[in-house]
Amino acid sequence: MSRIIDAKGKACPMPVMMAKEAITAGEESFTVLVDNRTAVGNLQRLASNQGYDAAVSEADGVFSLAFTKTGAAPAPQASAAPVQAAPGEGYAIFVSRDIVGSGDHELGTNLIRMFFYTLAQSDDLPASILFMNGGVKLPAGDEQVIEHLKTLIGKGVEVLVCGTCLNYYGIADQLGAGTASNMYDILTKMQKASKVITV
Amino acid sequence: MDYCLIAFSSSSGAIQAQRVLKGHVAFQTMPVLREISASCGIALRLPPESAEEAAALLSGSELRPGEFTLYAVTGQGPGLTAEPIQ
Repeated sequence: MSRIIDAKGKACPMPVMMAKEAITAGEESFTVLVDNRTAVGNLQRLASNQGYDAAVSEADGVFSLAFTKTGAAPAPQASAAPVQAAPGEGYAIFVSRDIVGSGDHELGTNLIRMFFYTLAQSDDLPASILFMNGGVKLPAGDEQVIEHLKTLIGKGVEVLVCGTCLNYYGIADQLGAGTASNMYDILTKMQKASKVITV
Repeated sequence: MDYCLIAFSSSSGAIQAQRVLKGHVAFQTMPVLREISASCGIALRLPPESAEEAAALLSGSELRPGEFTLYAVTGQGPGLTAEPIQ
């Protein structure tokens, strides 16, 4: 009988932590219940990272993810392995506010738009761009930045946006580019990057 | 012309111009091309067909005539050319 983990009403990253506990405990089959799409996306990524299949079904606003261990699983201890900043991993850009630097807000807005314009045209692209706190207002509100992010995603750049932050600002439904993500994935991208540029 | 670039003699002029153009013509904020100026400045990028309307809007605004210059940008990389639009 597969266990049911009730994570309804739990804020990110609790559902992922609860599922991860079950995985660490060696449970090969369990079901997680959540009540928001951000958590569904986070749990699906956790499943694929940990070698699980996660079939999703929805009823009355409750999402049910049936975790089942698949044969070709990556080592479960992968996330606990020492993280090495291999040069091949590329670099990451961490954006924690919606302007560049401190000072005049309007100037900062212009600078951040120019930053992403220039980055989108550059040949030296990051492996990932990570948005957190006020930074999430860019992929969920700034049309110019969203367009540049779409270009970057089209060139293979991974764009992760803090789901907790999107929910906090009430703009989760306005995400125009990138994937709503969680602290685990965002931190992992930083740890695996050869360098992290903070804007 | 691949796109029209508007350069400004000051950053505050560039910010003021965005207020004038917003809602009338679509534009992107970009850094001034190295081919136009060695200094870092705010420029606006517009589709070629919006150049005329943008010029008219800016000329009719509080911006001084010498405050902004429109360029026709063609090509990219070493073959890029930026010619002032009269």
